[in-house]
Order: sequence, then structure tokens, then C-alpha cells
Amino acid sequence: MSITRRQLISGIAAAGVPAAVAVTVGTDVLKAGERVEIPNAAVGLLYDATMCIGCKACVAACAEANDTPPDTRRDNLHQAPSDLNDLTRNVIKLYKPEDGSAFSFVKRQCMHCLDPACAAGCPFQALHKDPESGIVSWTAENCIGCRYCTITCPYHVPRFQWAGFNPRVTKCELCGHRLAKGLKPGCTSVCPTGAVIFGPRSVLLLEAKQRIKSSPGRYYQDRVYGETDNGGTQALYLSRVPFEKLGLPELGPESVPAKTLRWQRRFYQYFALPAVLYAGLVQVIRKSLKGHEEEAHQREKETGLRAQL
Amino acid sequence: MSTAAANVERAASNRWERNVPVYGFPVVNRFFLGLLVLVLIAFILTAYRELAGLGPVSGMNDAYGWGIWKTFNVMVLTALGSGAFAVGIAAWVFRRKKLHSLMRMALLTSFLAYACGLLLLGIDAGRPWNFYWIVFPWEWNMHSPLAEVAICMSIYAMIPLAVENIPPVLERLWYFDSRLRPGVELIEKRLHYFYPYIIAAAYLLPGMHQSSLGALMLLAGERVHPLWQTPWLPLLYLGAATFMSFGCVAGTTMLCCLVWKRGMDMDVLDEAARITSWLIFGWLGLRLVDILFRGALPTAFHFDRFAGVFWLEVLLIAGGGFLLMRSLKTHDPQPMFVGYILSSAGGMIYRFSPTTLAFRPNPEALYFPATVEVLVSLGFIALGVLGFLVAVKRFAILPAPLSEWHDMASYFRFRRPYIRWTGYFKYGHFGEDETEPTTSEAASSD
Repeated sequence: MSITRRQLISGIAAAGVPAAVAVTVGTDVLKAGERVEIPNAAVGLLYDATMCIGCKACVAACAEANDTPPDTRRDNLHQAPSDLNDLTRNVIKLYKPEDGSAFSFVKRQCMHCLDPACAAGCPFQALHKDPESGIVSWTAENCIGCRYCTITCPYHVPRFQWAGFNPRVTKCELCGHRLAKGLKPGCTSVCPTGAVIFGPRSVLLLEAKQRIKSSPGRYYQDRVYGETDNGGTQALYLSRVPFEKLGLPELGPESVPAKTLRWQRRFYQYFALPAVLYAGLVQVIRKSLKGHEEEAHQREKETGLRAQL
Repeated sequence: MSTAAANVERAASNRWERNVPVYGFPVVNRFFLGLLVLVLIAFILTAYRELAGLGPVSGMNDAYGWGIWKTFNVMVLTALGSGAFAVGIAAWVFRRKKLHSLMRMALLTSFLAYACGLLLLGIDAGRPWNFYWIVFPWEWNMHSPLAEVAICMSIYAMIPLAVENIPPVLERLWYFDSRLRPGVELIEKRLHYFYPYIIAAAYLLPGMHQSSLGALMLLAGERVHPLWQTPWLPLLYLGAATFMSFGCVAGTTMLCCLVWKRGMDMDVLDEAARITSWLIFGWLGLRLVDILFRGALPTAFHFDRFAGVFWLEVLLIAGGGFLLMRSLKTHDPQPMFVGYILSSAGGMIYRFSPTTLAFRPNPEALYFPATVEVLVSLGFIALGVLGFLVAVKRFAILPAPLSEWHDMASYFRFRRPYIRWTGYFKYGHFGEDETEPTTSEAASSD
């Protein structure tokens, strides 16, 4: 007993459609409230804004550690970048409200999110999260310079070099080259007050909670920014003023990619749904094409003009 | 009603039965040269951009990382160029047979819009030499909407869309020289075998990347104004592309009919307008329901630029849809054409908004395209128009009544008599058999 083409096709359809639907709906993407996995050897920074005196020693040390020329474009004299830019991986900014209430410095650098939006959007994995240390770093060889990372990062950290024919993306990579030599990141090695410290993320988190416990009411909402925000980050923040004022938006415990790309991820899982759609389209078009060709040849006979298909 | 009846009567004699080149007009004229100048300026500025970098030539900055090259030439113009997708699905999958006469226009406009968009995408990329990763699938980030767009768009434009545009070229070769005919017919036969697979890919791929273009801005989160930021952004982007591309294909065809004085087949145009108006009202319904359910409606009544853009967009699209609906009753091409223009313009604003008009990275951020940026953008649009003008004058793209084909044949017979020397008409070119019927043929026809 042989199988006709129709039987074969309908058999494949009968098996394929439910399989594709199952893959699409049942795919194990992160559900709301679920925690992102933390890398084994996750390292990070703890920045306590209440201890920072705004000396900017870390800004200079960062440029030196990363072999970047000092950004003196503001007044052609001082290294005083107003924000992160193509020469600045790390910057100290001041929040000073008009009404004279509490002011605060803030150190801005890459948050090294546990589920980074920049890496989720990067088309050829130029931005990549190290599975061991959790450091998010940039590879020149894979970057096409599309600048999607500057759009996706909720903290607006990666910066694109606008001048020159060979532009680079600049962001804090937690001084990976110094860590390999057993040194601490540039910024933490020079901080005079210990406002920014380096260590394993779990240790830093305990330290931050200890500080909150020992001086209740000192810190905003008595919480550590980055413990769960945006799915958790490896740079942790303590502050007296609301985090939003320091440029750290309230993003909720779910990471941005998990929140926004849930269906995108499901639709393209194993390419199951597109493949089934394609097979269905081929069948429909095969039939329309046959009818269309017959009509065209009929018209060819009537008019004596060559069919245009 | 009398005008409507007259319109129907006129339509009957204008039935589009064949695609005919725009004959008798020179390809090079003043308009063509003007476009050529724009293209050359853009090419020179492109060379400058490759050396100087993006900063000196564009208004892009750290806050607005994407300028009009991506947000207008790619995001907006490929939506206008989705005709091969939207009209094609209506014609081939839903079997709206009348739309087959618009297919060549749809395929051509799509190919040109995508090709020019992709060229500019390469210029916009800061490190374009790294695009070669596109051939190594294990380097793709499969879950990135941008990877999906970049990979899918290039494959679509280079394979299915290009292959679908081959028939008019083969047809010209077939009529050009009888010695080429066996070869051309062989290639056509081979192509026909692969057609179902190619056409199916030509509908799947744009469906994927046109929706992924919307998914791009999902990751930007709250920096996109709540009137636009929604989990339905991919579907809305795809929907906008369908009615905009209907407007582009039918509108361009109508414009060509006006410019080159060809009859308009109101049967076909009515069918296209009916589908477009349904698409428009379905899309508007989805958009408004989504805004209502997310509770973003109050922001539409704030007195700011976002509300202004929103109402402009909604009114343009709804007004266009209304005009299209009304033109269905009178079979009048004028409100139909205006309806296409309005709805497509509204759709263009919609596609442009999430990345630019309604994108607020921070309160101080500003973006306005630099002169060089605008000139390059215009130059690559001009390149597409240039390609269109050459193609409709050299290939059988525009639909026309059958009489137009016979007029073309006699035009070439009397205005270009020298081509008789080449034996051009000996083999029944254009279907006009000039040779004396032999006795055996006369006998068989009797």
C-alpha cells in the first residue's frame, strides 16, 4: 500500500501543526516573577551614594585603567565629561534639587544586568554576557555599529563613537583585563571613601543589607537597587534620594527582555511556527498558481498574445 | 448616480488585460536628470560619510542613536514597499483574482523600496564590514528583533523578491530576439517549478520582518510614549504596512495612468480600495481598543506634541479610509487617489513615531536631521524613483487595456520602421503577425 502525496501532506500537517503550537505556547520563557539565573562567579560593584564625596578620582582612574585619553572636550583643559560618552565609561554626576533638599552624587557605569537588554537586542552577539563572571562586554569583530544597544539599554549606558570611520561602542566592562591580573577595577582601586567597592555579587548584597540594617532610615526605601530591579543587576546601589532621581528607573522585578520579548521568543522558538506557516502557504499557492496558469493559457488562445504570468 | 453609471461604463472599456511598457517616451528627460543629480550628490556624500563617520554628517546623538536613514528610509519606506507582501497575499492566498493585474507594480515597487532601504542600512551601520556574520547562523542572536530584521530583510530582497521580478525581464528578452526564445522558455519552465516555494517565502519573510520592525521598539520600554508603546506593536506595524502598501501600489498605478494617459480599470481599483478600507478600519479599531485597554487614552488629550502627532495620524488614516469607502459608491478615481495619499501619509507618521516623534530618551534630548543626512536620504529615494522610471519604460510593468498593446505594436511598426530590417516583426513580435499566411496555415485555421 503506497501513500499518496495528499496523504503524506495531510499527515505532516496533522503532526506538525499541533507540534508547532505546543512549541510556541509551551516554550519555557521566563514568566512573570520568575528570577533570572545568577552566574556562578558573578562579580559586581556596590556604590553607596551616601558615602560618595564626588571627587571624581574614579573617573580619572577608569580612563587610565582602560587606556582611554582623558575627555577634555568640555573646556579643553579639565577631564570633566558631563555624561557617559565615547571616551567615558564611568562618570560622577550630581543630583541637586531646586528646593534645597538633600543632594546626592551618583556614579554611572554599566549595571551588568543579569538579563541584559543590550545583549538581547544585539544582532550578532557583539555585546555578550560572560556565563561565569556575568560581565557584559563588547567585541569589535561582531559589532555592525547598528546602535540598537544605545536604544535598548534602560540605563542608557552603551555609547557610540560618532566620529571616525572605525567607530567603537564604549561601556564599562568591569576592567576584565585587570581582573585577569588579579587587580581590582580602576574605579574601586582609588575611591578614597570606599563609596564604590568590588566583590562577588552575593557578598556585596550581604554588605549592602548589613548597612541598611545598621542604619535604618538612612537609605531610600531601605532597599538595594539592583537586587531584583530589571531582573537583578551586578552593580548594586544604595542611596538617600529616590533612585529615579539618580537615573535608575523603576523597572520592576522582571527584566526588560523577559517583559517585552516574551511572544517574540515564543514565535521563533526552533522556527516551528514559521516552518508550519511556510508549508501551509506553499500548498495554497501551488493551487492558486495552477488555476492562474490555466486561465492565462486560456487567454493566450483567445487573444493570440503570449501569456504574462 | 449618472456620474457613477458613466464611471462604470468608462471602466468597462478600460479593462486591464495586459501589462504594457510605457512606450514612446524617452527615458532621459529633465525630471530624470534632476533625480540623477540627487543620486550623484548622495553617492558623493556617502563616500564622505564613510571616511568622516556618522557624527559629522548627521544629527544623530547619544540620546537619539537612530536617525532618518533607519527610521524613515527603512522603517517607513519598506512599509510602503510591502506591496509584494500585502497585494500578493490578497491575490495568491485569498485569490482576489482581479489584483493580479497590479502584481507587477507591487513587485517592482517592493523591490526598489527594499533595495534602496538596505543600501542605506549598510551606510547607516557604523561597522558595515562586519555584516559578513550574516552567513554564519551560529553567530546570530536568534531572539533579537534586529537580527531578525537584518537577516530576513536581506534574504527576502535578494532571493524571493528578486526572483519574482525576473518574469518581465525574461519577457522582454523573449520579444527582443527570436533566437533567445528557447533559452528563455527553458528558464521560465525551471522558474515555474520553484515558484510555489519562492512565493510562499515572499509572504512568510516580510510577515516576519515587518512585525519585527515593530518589536524593535518594545525593548525601549517607557521611553516610547504610551500612545505608541504596546505589546501589540509588532501586529500594528504589520497592519500599517498592509494598508500603506496597498495605497502605494494602487496610488502609484493611478498616478502613472494620469501621467502617461492610460485608462483606469475601476473594477480592479475598486477591489483594491475595498480591501484597503477594510484593512484601515480594522487596524484603527485594533489601535483604539489597545489604547483604551491600556488606559493610555487620557494622554491623547494632553496639550503636547505627542497628542498632536497622534490625532494627526488617526485623522489622516480615518479620513483616507472614509474617502476610499466613499469612492467605492461613485467609482470615482479622484477621492480614491486622495484617500490613498491620506491613509498612507497617516501610516507613514505612525511608522515614524515610535522611533522618532514619540521617542523620549530624556527631556533635553533633541534630534533633527542634518542637511547631509536629508540629502543622502533623498538621494536614495531618488535612486528608487529612477529605477522605477527606467523599469516601467523598458519592461511590461504597468497594467493597460489590450488596445494599448496593439497601439504599441503599431507605434513601433510606423515610428521605428528600421527595425523591420532586423527581422523584428518576422516572428510575430507583439502578437502582430506581419508575414503572409502560408497556405498550410490558412488551411488549418479554416
